[in-house]
Amino acid sequence: MTFRLTCPVCGKRDVYEFTYGGPERGPRPAEADPASGSQAAGGSDPAAGSDPAAAAEAHFRWAQFRMNRPEPQEEWWHHGAGCGVWFSTWRDPATNREAPPGGAEAGGHEASGRDSS
Amino acid sequence: MSRLPPSSTERIDRSRPLGFRWCGRALEGFEGDTVASALWGAGVRTFGRSFEYHRPRGLHDLEGEGSSQLVSIDGVPNQSAGTTPLREGMDVGAQNVRGDPRFDVFGLLDRLDRFMPAGFYYRLFHRPAWAARFFQERMRGLAGLGVLRPDVPDRGERAERYLNADVAVVGGGPAGMSAALEAGRLGLRVCLFERRPWLGGHLDWRVRDSRPLAGEVSALADELERMESMRVFRHAPVTGIWGENLLTGFQYRGAGGPTDGWTGSGTAEAFDETHWECRARAVVVATGSIERPLVFEHNDRPGVMQVDTAIRLARTYGVRPGTAAAFSVGDDLGLEAAVDLASLGVDVRMVADARHEGHDEALVAALVEAGIDFRPGWAATRVRGRSRVRRVELADRTTTGAGSGATVGSAGGGAGDSLRVACDLLVASAGRQPDIGVLSCAGARFRHGQRTRTFELERLPPDVFAAGGVLRLTDVEALTTSGRTAGLEAAAACGADVAEALARERARLADLPGPARGSSIVRGPVAGRRLAPGRKAFLDFDEDGTWKNAAQSAAYAFDVPELAKRFGNFGLGPGQYRVPGQNLAMAMAEIAGRPIGSFAATTVRPPVIPPSLATLAGPNHDIHKRTPLHDDQASRGAVFRRAGPWLRARYFSADRQCLEEIRNVRENVGLLDSSPLGKFRIWGPDALRALQRVYISDMTRARPGRCTYSAMCNDTGNIIDDGVVVRTGEDEFYFTTSSNRAGTTVEWLRFHTRYDGWDYNLVNLTDALASINVAGPNARRVLEKITDAELSDEAFPYLGCREIEVGDGVAARCLRLGFVGELSYELHLRASHARYVWDLLWEAGAEYGIRPFGLEAQNCLRAEKGHVIIGTESEQRVTLLDIGMGWLWDREDTASGKVGAAALRYCEGQSGRLKLVGLRVDDPAGDAGAGTARDPTHRPEDGALVVDGDRIAGFVCTTRHSETLGWQYGLALVEDRLAERGRSLDLYESLGRRTVRWTATVVPPHFHDPKGQRLRIAPEGRPRRPGKAPSPPAPAAHRRSPVRFDAAPARTERRAGWNVVLDYESDRAPADVMRRASLVDLSHRARWDVQNRDIGTLRPFGLDVPGTPGKVAVRDGLMINRMNGTQASVWHVGPGAAPAMPDGPHYTDTTDSHCWLALLGDSVPEVLESVTGLDLFDPARARPFLTQGPVLHVPCQIVTWRGDAVLLAFSRGYGQTFVEALLESGRHAGLRPAGERVFTDWSHALKS
Repeated sequence: MTFRLTCPVCGKRDVYEFTYGGPERGPRPAEADPASGSQAAGGSDPAAGSDPAAAAEAHFRWAQFRMNRPEPQEEWWHHGAGCGVWFSTWRDPATNREAPPGGAEAGGHEASGRDSS
Repeated sequence: MSRLPPSSTERIDRSRPLGFRWCGRALEGFEGDTVASALWGAGVRTFGRSFEYHRPRGLHDLEGEGSSQLVSIDGVPNQSAGTTPLREGMDVGAQNVRGDPRFDVFGLLDRLDRFMPAGFYYRLFHRPAWAARFFQERMRGLAGLGVLRPDVPDRGERAERYLNADVAVVGGGPAGMSAALEAGRLGLRVCLFERRPWLGGHLDWRVRDSRPLAGEVSALADELERMESMRVFRHAPVTGIWGENLLTGFQYRGAGGPTDGWTGSGTAEAFDETHWECRARAVVVATGSIERPLVFEHNDRPGVMQVDTAIRLARTYGVRPGTAAAFSVGDDLGLEAAVDLASLGVDVRMVADARHEGHDEALVAALVEAGIDFRPGWAATRVRGRSRVRRVELADRTTTGAGSGATVGSAGGGAGDSLRVACDLLVASAGRQPDIGVLSCAGARFRHGQRTRTFELERLPPDVFAAGGVLRLTDVEALTTSGRTAGLEAAAACGADVAEALARERARLADLPGPARGSSIVRGPVAGRRLAPGRKAFLDFDEDGTWKNAAQSAAYAFDVPELAKRFGNFGLGPGQYRVPGQNLAMAMAEIAGRPIGSFAATTVRPPVIPPSLATLAGPNHDIHKRTPLHDDQASRGAVFRRAGPWLRARYFSADRQCLEEIRNVRENVGLLDSSPLGKFRIWGPDALRALQRVYISDMTRARPGRCTYSAMCNDTGNIIDDGVVVRTGEDEFYFTTSSNRAGTTVEWLRFHTRYDGWDYNLVNLTDALASINVAGPNARRVLEKITDAELSDEAFPYLGCREIEVGDGVAARCLRLGFVGELSYELHLRASHARYVWDLLWEAGAEYGIRPFGLEAQNCLRAEKGHVIIGTESEQRVTLLDIGMGWLWDREDTASGKVGAAALRYCEGQSGRLKLVGLRVDDPAGDAGAGTARDPTHRPEDGALVVDGDRIAGFVCTTRHSETLGWQYGLALVEDRLAERGRSLDLYESLGRRTVRWTATVVPPHFHDPKGQRLRIAPEGRPRRPGKAPSPPAPAAHRRSPVRFDAAPARTERRAGWNVVLDYESDRAPADVMRRASLVDLSHRARWDVQNRDIGTLRPFGLDVPGTPGKVAVRDGLMINRMNGTQASVWHVGPGAAPAMPDGPHYTDTTDSHCWLALLGDSVPEVLESVTGLDLFDPARARPFLTQGPVLHVPCQIVTWRGDAVLLAFSRGYGQTFVEALLESGRHAGLRPAGERVFTDWSHALKS
C-alpha cells in the first residue's frame, strides 16, 4: 500500500518520507504536584492537577488510548526525509487518502464510453 | 522450417537467422522472433509439461499469460517464451520434465487425476502425523515448474527508474496512442507504456480484406515519436497501479529489446531489466482485450491455441501455425482470423462460432466464398491426439449430448449435430474479455454485461480513465475516439480546460459502433460417454484446474469464485486471475445453475505480469554511513559491523573477546572512533524549556565547562536515550545523544513541544563533528603532546568540557567522560579535520604503544563498569527507575511537563517490575572461587532466559568474561523478587535443539572501580617505551572530503586546508563535458545554516532570504535556499573565496555536515531518474528551486538550477557509499566523476 501526504512545505510526497506521530489528542495533561496537590502550570483540566489519581488516569488515557475509528481523523506527521517539519493533517485510515474532517472522500466515477446495453 | 511466404506485417528479419538450442538440439529462428515463435516455427510442438498432471503443453498464447510456455533460458528458469526475444546462441530448455518433453516419465500422473481432486493437498496426507512430512517432501519434489540452479549466477543488469508524469497511458494500441496524443498536444507530460516491443496493439497484425490495419494508426505512432512532452516505453509491461496513481512495471532491455527512453547501450544480456515506477496525476488504461479460453475436453493439447496466437504466428512471425485447421470461436475477430489464415494458405476445414447470430455479415460471406464450412451455434467438444492435435470433435450447442457424428476428411459438410474434423490445429476461443488486470489493481469495479457477455467496467477510481478494447469497443474509429475522450478526461483531471473538446469527442463516440456482441459460452457442448464431463477440460492451464475441480469445489461448499479460486487453485499461477478469472466466475455460475454473470470476476492482484525477483530486488546498493576515520581503521584491520545507518569498527583482531584491546585501555591508552554519537546545538529564548521538557533531570543545572549527564524517557517512562548537556551560552546548549537516537532527536524535541510555540533553534551536528575517544590511564599523556591546553585534574576535572586547540590550531571541544571506566577524553571536532587529528594522536601515542579499540571492547569495558546501553540493558517494558537510574529524575519539577514523568510517578514503587541486576556466572564445575582462570568463551549468550520455577522471569542483557575480575560477569533484567543480592538464578539458552542451563548469582551491577576513583584521578599507566624521539612540531592541518573518486587527479589546489582536485586524468574534453553527465564533489565549499523564527528579517551575508520555502536565490557567489518556516541554508557556489560567517547565534557552519555534489550535463535528468522518485524537473516550477527529499533513500537537499545542472547535499556520512551507488546507477547515462573545474567553468559560462 502506498499513499501520499501533503506536506505544508514540500507538497505531496510519498508516505515513506514521513513518520507518524499518532492522531491529534491535544497537549499533554498537566502533571499532579505530589507535594502541594495544587494545579500545575500548563494544564487545561482544573480537576486533574488537584487529584493525583485523576491526573494519572487522565495521563494514562491521553498516552495510551487511541480510538481507531475508520473515519477521517486529524493526525501528526513528520517530514523527516524532507523539510523536517511536524504538521497535522486530516486523513481517512479506511482509504488512506487525505480527507476533510467528517466529509466524504473523493470518490470514483462512472466509466465513460459507449453505453453497452 | 514451416514458415509462410513473407508478408507486409511480419516483424522478423529473414536475412538474419539466429541459431539456438532446444533441449540440446540445434534449431534456427530469425532476428525478431520470440523464443516461442522460433520453437513453433522449427516444428517443436511440446514446450513443457503441466504443473500437476504433467500433460504435454504447447503454444497456447504469445503474451506470457500462462505457465505452459515457461522455459528455462541459459539456465535461468521460468522465462516466458512468448515474450522473450530470441538471441543467437540461446540455450532453451523445457520445464517440469524428466528427459525429453515429448516422453516425460511423470506423464502417467495424468491418469491418476481421480486421486487428485480439488484441494486434495489440503485434505489428505495429514494422518498419521509422520505421513505429512513424508508426503510434503515427496510432493515438493514433484511440484513446481522451473529448477533454480545455484550454479547459475544471477544474470543481467537490473536498473531502476522513477518517472513523473501528468498523464500515464497504459497500452499503446489505437486507443492508448490517441489518448496520449490528446494529452500531449495540451503540453502535458505524458508517459506511454506498451507491453509489446512495438506500438499499434492488435491492429499491428490484423489484416482485413487483404489490407493491413496497421496503416490506419501508423500516423499516430509517428506523431507520438515526434512529440516533445511524450515519452514512449516499449516492451514495458505494467505490473500494477497503487495508491494515488503510482504505476509500477518493468522494461526488458536485453538483446532485441527496445532502447527507447533509455540511452544506455543495449547490452547483449537477455536478462537486463529495468524496474520502473511512474507517479501520474491521471491514468488512462487502454489495455485492450484478451481471449477467454474455451473449455472443452483436452483443450490444452499442443496444437490448440488462441485466435491471436494463430494469427500472430502467421502475421507477425511468418510461422505456419498448422497445416489443417479447425476454428471454434465466439466473436468476429475469430472469423476474421479464419478468413485471413485461409488466405495465407492454411487449410481451414471448419469454422464453428458459438454465437447463433450477430456475426459480421461481410466475414461470413468471405468464409463462404473461401469455401469454408461455417457453423453458427457450434463449438468444440473435445480433441483427440496426445502430444499434438489429430482430430477435433465439434457439436451443435443447442442439441447438447452425444450425437452419432460423422467424420469429415477435408472441409466438407456432415450430417447430424456433431462432427469430427481431422486437423493439426484447433484455433479455440470463447470470445474476448476486457483485459481488466491493471484496472482491477487500481480498484475499478465490474459487472457482467448482457450484450458483451463479459465483465464490463462499472466504476473507476479517482483520476483513472479507460479507453478502447477494455470497454469492448472494436471499431477502429470508435477505439481512437474513445482514446481521445479518455485523454481529454485525463487532461481535465490535471486541470486543463478542455470541456468543449471533450463534449465534441463524446458526441462523436456516441454515434460510432458500440461494444461488440459476445458469447456467454464457457464450455463446449458435452459429448462422449467415456470421459466424465469436464475431467480434462481446463479452466486454468497454470495449475491444471479443470471443470471437474470447479464442480468439486462447489460440492465442498466453496461455491463462489473467490472461495473456489483459493480451494482449487484457479488462477494462482502466472495467469494471475486475468485469464481464468472471468471464466471461473461464469463457470461457477453455470455449475450452481445460476444465471451467467451472477458472480463477479475474481480480483486481479499485482503483479499483473510477473517480473523476475531480481528485477524487483533492483541494483540493491548498500548505502550506509561511514565515519571520517573509516579508511584508516580499515587499514588497521578493523572488522566493521552495521550499527543503525553507520558502519562501525567492532573488532581490531581475530579475538572476538577483544582481551588485548580491553587490557590496553585498562592499563595504557586506546583510541575509539565514536563519531556516530549524536551531537546537537540548541539555542534560542526557549531552548532551556525544550531541554527541560525532554530530559528527565533538572537541566537548569547545566553549566558552561561542565557535562551534565541525563536521560530521556518516553510517555510511558521507558528510558530511550542518554547523553550529556553542556551550556555554551546564555540561551545556548550543546548536547549529545546515543548513536541510534541521533536521527530522531530533532523530531523528538519538536514533537514534544509542538503545542507550545516555543522559540528555539536546533541543528544536528552528528555528521559535522567527528568524535575521537582517547581512553586509558595514559590518555592525558598522549593528549598533552598535541595540545597546549591545561589537562590536569585541577584545571580539567572529570565531567569537564573545554574548548581546546590541537595540533596546528584545530579547534576541538574536549569532554572528559568515563563511559569505559577509565580516564578518557572525547574530542569533538570538524569531521574534515578528524583524520588529521587522529593521525596526530597515533603519532603522539606511538611511544606508549597506543592501540585502537572497537565497539565490542567498549561494550565489555562499559559493562564491567556497570554503565548501561539503552536498548541493550533496557527494552520497552523497562523504565528509568527499573534500571536503577531514578536518581536522574527531577521529581520536584511538575511544571516543565517532562516527558515520562507522569508515568514514572505512577509506576514508582510498583512490584513485579523488571530490575537491572549484576550477574556473576557460576563456574559449571562448581568451583566459583575468585581468580579461577576459566575459558573466556564459556558463558551464556546475551539474551539467555532467566527462569524461575516454571516461568520466564527475565533475561540476560550482556555477559562477558572479565580479565580484571577473573570471572564471567553480566547484566540482566529480572523480576524484582529475584533481584536481591546473593540470589541464585537459573539461566537457559537454546542452541538449536539443545538447551543449556547455567546458574548465576546476583551481585551489584558495578564490577570495575565501583567508586569511580579511576575516572577522577587516573592511576599510573604503563610507562612509555624507551628510546623514542620527541615528537616533531605538528604538521599543517588539512581537511578531507568524505568522498574519494576512483580516478587519478591531474591538477590539485590547496585551499584553506582542503586539497581540491581541479581536474582528473579521466576528465572529458571541455566540449564533451555537458553532453553526458559529470559528478563533481563540492564538499570543500562552505555552507551555513541560518535559523530564526523571524528569518525574513535577517539578511545573512547581506542577502534577502527568499520568502517561501523551496525558493532559491543566487547572488554574489552565494546561493540561499529557504528550507522551511524558520530555516535557510547558504551555499558558497563561488567564484572567489568564501566570506566569513557573520556573527550572531543564527548561523551555524555546516560545511562539514554535508557531502555536497554537483551533477552537470545533458543526461543529468536521466541519472536522477534512476535514483529518486522526486519530481526534480517539474516544468511548472521556476528554476532554480529547492527540493528536500530522498535520493537513493538518503534525505537530500536538491537544487534544480537548470535542466542540466543540479546540486545536492546530504549527510556527510553517506558520502562515499552514496557516490558509489550514484555512479553505478548513472553509468548507463555516461555519468563520470570530474574535477571542480567543470563546475567553475559551467558557472562562469552561466554568468557570461
